[in-house]
This record gives sequence, C-alpha cells and structure tokens, in this order.
Amino acid sequence: MRRGVGLTLLAAALSVVVSSCGSGVIDKSTDGVPPAEATGTLRVLLPSFPPSAKGKAEFQKVVDDFHKAYPKMKVEPDFATYKNLNEKMSTAIAAGIPYDVMVTGVGWVQPFASKNIFEDLGKYGVTPDYIREKSTPALIPAVTYDKKLYAYPLIADARAVALRKSAFREAGLDPDKPPASLDEIKVAAEKLTKRDKDGNITRSGFDLASATGFRQSFTTFLASTGTPLYVGGEPNFDNQKGLDTLLWIKSMINNVQPYGQTNAAQQPLVLTGEAAMGIVNGGVDCSAEGIGQKNCDDLKFFRFNSGKEIEYVGGDLASIGSRSRHKDAAWAFIQSLTKPATLDALAKLNKKVPAYKDASNSPQAKSNPLSQFVADGLVYAVNENEVPSNWLEMRGNFDIQLTQAVLGQKDPAKVLHNLAGQSR
Amino acid sequence: MSTTLERPTLATPRKVSPSKDGRTLLRSQARAGWALLAPALLHSGVFIVIPVIAVLVLSLTDYSFGDTWAWVGFGNYADLFRDVDFLASLWHTVLYAIVVIPISMAISLAVAIGLNQKIRGLGFFRTAFYIPTVTATVAVATIWLWIYNPGSGLANGFLSLFGFAPNRWLADPATALPSLMVVGIWQGLGTKIIIYLAALQGVSRDLVESAELDGAGRWQRFVNVTWPAIGPVQFFVLITSIVGTFQVFDLVYVMTQGGPGSETRVLVMDIYQNAFQDLKLGYASAETVIMMIVIALFIGVGRLLQKADAND
Repeated sequence: MRRGVGLTLLAAALSVVVSSCGSGVIDKSTDGVPPAEATGTLRVLLPSFPPSAKGKAEFQKVVDDFHKAYPKMKVEPDFATYKNLNEKMSTAIAAGIPYDVMVTGVGWVQPFASKNIFEDLGKYGVTPDYIREKSTPALIPAVTYDKKLYAYPLIADARAVALRKSAFREAGLDPDKPPASLDEIKVAAEKLTKRDKDGNITRSGFDLASATGFRQSFTTFLASTGTPLYVGGEPNFDNQKGLDTLLWIKSMINNVQPYGQTNAAQQPLVLTGEAAMGIVNGGVDCSAEGIGQKNCDDLKFFRFNSGKEIEYVGGDLASIGSRSRHKDAAWAFIQSLTKPATLDALAKLNKKVPAYKDASNSPQAKSNPLSQFVADGLVYAVNENEVPSNWLEMRGNFDIQLTQAVLGQKDPAKVLHNLAGQSR
Repeated sequence: MSTTLERPTLATPRKVSPSKDGRTLLRSQARAGWALLAPALLHSGVFIVIPVIAVLVLSLTDYSFGDTWAWVGFGNYADLFRDVDFLASLWHTVLYAIVVIPISMAISLAVAIGLNQKIRGLGFFRTAFYIPTVTATVAVATIWLWIYNPGSGLANGFLSLFGFAPNRWLADPATALPSLMVVGIWQGLGTKIIIYLAALQGVSRDLVESAELDGAGRWQRFVNVTWPAIGPVQFFVLITSIVGTFQVFDLVYVMTQGGPGSETRVLVMDIYQNAFQDLKLGYASAETVIMMIVIALFIGVGRLLQKADAND
C-alpha cells in the first residue's frame, strides 16, 4: 500500500516536472484582437540580421515600427544562421513553442509547407501578381507550393562570375571578351591556373565556390545549359546535359582549383586574388576597409551562358508559422520587415540586393559595381526551381553524392540516376 | 616441499528474525536509502528512461515535425539497411572505434606507467597530458584544423622538413578519417591516463615486492602482477571508450562536417543530419536504437574478452 502511494507520488512529481517544462510559454491567441490591445510574445527566427551591434540596431528599427501598430506585444528574436536554421525550427516545434515568423531560403518553403509548418499567405493578399508588382518575380517559384504562396521575399542572394583583368592580360586573354560557356571557361581557367615547381596549384584558374558541396554550382552550371534542376518537383538532371555538367565539374577540380579550397574569411577567392576567375556573391566593398578601389577596378563581371544567360539567385524569404497564435501580428511584422528602408539595410548587411521591384536603383546597387551588376541581372535569375517536398533531405544528398562523383569515388551517371530516384 | 592448503569451512549463519526495533531500523534505513536515491532516480527517469521510451516509440513512426504522422512498424529499420549513408556511417564509426580504442588505451597505459615512476617534472607531465581532456572539443578541433591546413599547417610544414609533398589531410578521402582518428586518440588520452595512474597506484606493493623477491623481471611483474590487478579498471576504460567513440560528433562536426563526400560521416553525425537537417525524426530514432544495440554488442564483446582474460 505504502509502496503504491510512493510510486503514485513519484509519478505525479514526474508529470509535474515534465508538464512544467512545456507550459507557461504558450500565449493566448491574439488573432482577431485589435492590434493596440494584443499582448504576448512574437517569436521571430531569422538569419537575415547578423548578431552584431549593427545588425541588432537595424532589427530594433523593425521592432519599433511594428510596435506602432502592436505596442503591447513583445518581440523575441532568434538570430540564426542558415547552418542552424533547421535545428532551431525542429527543436522549437518539438518543444511545442514554434516561431511566429520564420525567415528561410530558397528550397525551404516546399518541404515546410508540405508539412503544414508554414501558413498560406494567400489570406493576407500575397499572390503571384502581388509579388510581381512589389517584389522579385524570379523568386515566385521559390515561395510556391501546391499553387499557394507561403513566403514573401526580403532580399535576393544573386551570384555572378568575376574575372581579374590583370590575370587575363598576363595569360594572353582579352578581359573584354570574357568566357561565358562552360567549355570556354575551362579553356581560359587552364591558362590562368598557376602552379609551383612541384605542380601544386598556387593560384586557381577558376573558383567554383564549392568548398562545402557542389549542389549550388551544379545547379548554376546546369541551368546555364537551359536545363533547370527540377521542373514541377520532378528531377530534370538525370540526362545527358546533367552528366556533361557533372563531368565538367569533375574535369575542373584538382585541375584548375584544388578540392575544398577556401580562405579563412570565407571570401570569394577571385576578390582576394587567390583565383583569377570565379563565382562571386552579390556585393563587394571597394573602400579601403574592403578590397580597395584598385582591386575593384581590376574586376570584370559576367554571367554564365552555355546556351542560356543565367544568374543564380537565392534569397531570404519570410513566412508565418502555421501554429502561431499571433498570425495577424506576424504578418504585420513581415510588413515592417519589408519596408524599403529595412530591405536596403538588410541588403547592405548581407551584401545582397533588396527584393523590391526596382532593385537596380536601390542604394545597395548604387554602392558598388557588383551589386549593380547582379541587380540588373535579376531577369536572368535561376535556382533549384520547383523543388520536391523532400528537398531538405536532397540538399545533403546532392552535396555528398556530387562530391563522391567529382572525387572519382562513384560513377557520375549512377550518382545522377540515384539522386533522381531519391527525389520525391 | 609441498604445502596443502585446506579450504576453511564456513558455518552457515543461522537465520535470525530481527526484533521489532531491528525491523523499524531496517525500514528507516530503506526509507533513507530511497530518499537519497530519489534525485538520481528522478533524473534518470526524466532524462534517460522517458527519452529512451520516446525514441523506441518514435522509431516506429514516420514523424517529421509536421502535423501528421503514421505508424510504419519496422519500416524505418528496413530502410536503414538499404541506406548507403547509414551503412557508411556505421562502418566509419566501427572503424573509428576499432582503431582509436586499442591505440589510445595502449598509449594511455604506457604513459601512466611512465608517470607512475619517480621522475622529475611529474606534475608538469600529468597536467600536460590532461589538458586536452579539459579543453573544449571545438577549440581542440580548431587547432587541429590549422595543423592539418594544406597550405600553412604544422603537419605539412613538419613533413616538408623530410622532403614529403604536402598532403590535403582533411580534403583527401584517403586521409580524412585517419586524420580524425589521430585527434580522437590524442584527445582521449588524458582521462584514461588518470584512471590508469590511479589503478597503478592501487597495485599492492607487497605483491610486487614478493614477485621481485621470487626473481620476476620487469615484464613478468607487469604481466603477472600489475596486469591482473588493473583488470577491472581496464574494463571500465574499455566501456567508457566504446561509448565515447561511438558518440563522436563534435570533432567531426567542426573539422569535416562528415566530408569529403561521406568519408568521415559517423553515426551520431548521420542521426543529427536526419533528425535536425532533414527533419526525419522517426528515421533518426530508428538509427539511434540501432546505435544503442551496436554499443551493447561491443560492450558484450568487451565483457567476454575481460572474462577470458580473467580466467587466464
């Protein structure tokens, strides 16, 4: 009897401990409550603001703007990185305290929308026409799942190709006629590659920007042949063009660039002079604090074109959590987040371009030649396109298996076939 | 001359029923025992028993953080044995354990024997060997990243003195896992050395001196006196090493992220990837169950080896 009571007490204590871990942080719903009277905490997960003093100051401006409509609501930011984004989202869901606003990237929306983790933004008036009118049309496929829109673009992460004019001249190449097709790039890169007496590469001919995996570079090179990675969620790479692209990457690695090459600052190697040509992201600091005007003047930008002129464009995309108890407030917060001044600040902080209609005339585009070039090229935007709902899993699969093919551990044709089979 | 020792006969104690006072005392002792155990039991219940049950249940579902989930029976387990990434991770983990455990135990024992001698600077050496253990793995990994840097790292710099060509340690599929094993061995020495040192200091001086008087050499004394005496400690070190090596994660996460390709992908890394990057919690739970079984198997083999050693 006594033992039974003891066990019951222990069980009760346990349940109290367990339940107390999960309660007390869930607010009452504020949807339908007048904004001025809404109370609670809006949890925001975003990799867009660096957790520096500058980043936090810019974020506070968004909060201040949001508080004009929702003065009683507290905003709790979680300044994530793209590396730990999924970890944060999954643990928040498992803990029963999901985020109200989540900023993710291209390739995230479809998997999360298919799991009902993101809210359909159609009810807030977000339609393809609305994005075409106000934002970057190139990102519409990235925010669409099952013909519904689940995110709103904040900034576009556009990539171009850069060459060093001095290196071109030194190698007897004309910097005013940059190579554009994969074949031309390979020929030029081989001429531009410098080696020491032992044959070790001392300056790469072309930086594929693939130190952590070949997924994005494969997507980019393949798209330049006019072949999107996925069409309507179906794989479009298990074909001759896909194989040619993968074999091209294989022929470049350890030929014009050592595998895994990167620098401590994680800067594009062509900007630091460690490569004569290579992929660059959407901005360059030409001031003395950056790479300096002399280096900037030595750069020329161009786009891949193996049949189709393209520019790889990722981006930061804001969504509302489907389990949020503050969906109206979350949408209001996204509206504060997408004000032009905020997008300009975000673009500057991240060396990306604002995803509003006239990005070419944005302060960021005017601030440096690379941002201007990629902003002008948003009409050529490509990315993974309409990815399948298991894309989160496929991202890792692509990185691992393409590397195995490039390093000669697996047959490239079999790798592509396998990846196509795994996409669902 | 021979001596025959007779086994002493022990009288079977008569069962005496305790008095009322005795029973009260026993009950109060039992209560005190349970009271003292309660915090540990509560901790084990909340942080070990409940999660283990949760993992077992989740492993039978396709839960992926979404609104819906379904029972899949042993489907996850069947899928795992067709998953090349899981099989590669399992193989890398087993290989890592097979290489790292015996080498680190042997080096630790040798160093502990050295530190058990009366040598100058003993305190310094003991501290030096223990420092890697108390240093955060992320810091250790960062230092080793520099050592293995193909361009400016210490490893290539040192080898170049002897005319060796630079190696791309962590970027080369052939050397990535062995490079991690070296760090794993180095980092795990401190704890093992301390445990071995304590065990060596507990070896009876009388037995060692007796063996010495009987004319036993250093090696004979080690094999016949020291080795059997530290047997239980060997087993403890073996078990903790098995668990530790199977749970290797932070080192791999910081240094290689499982690459190049999947050459250094280990089980916990694969579990992390499936659970928190691919959001396949049911699948990752099944993988965790398999990992627990493999660890149990390794411990079982360790036990058998220990018993065989003791019987010798």
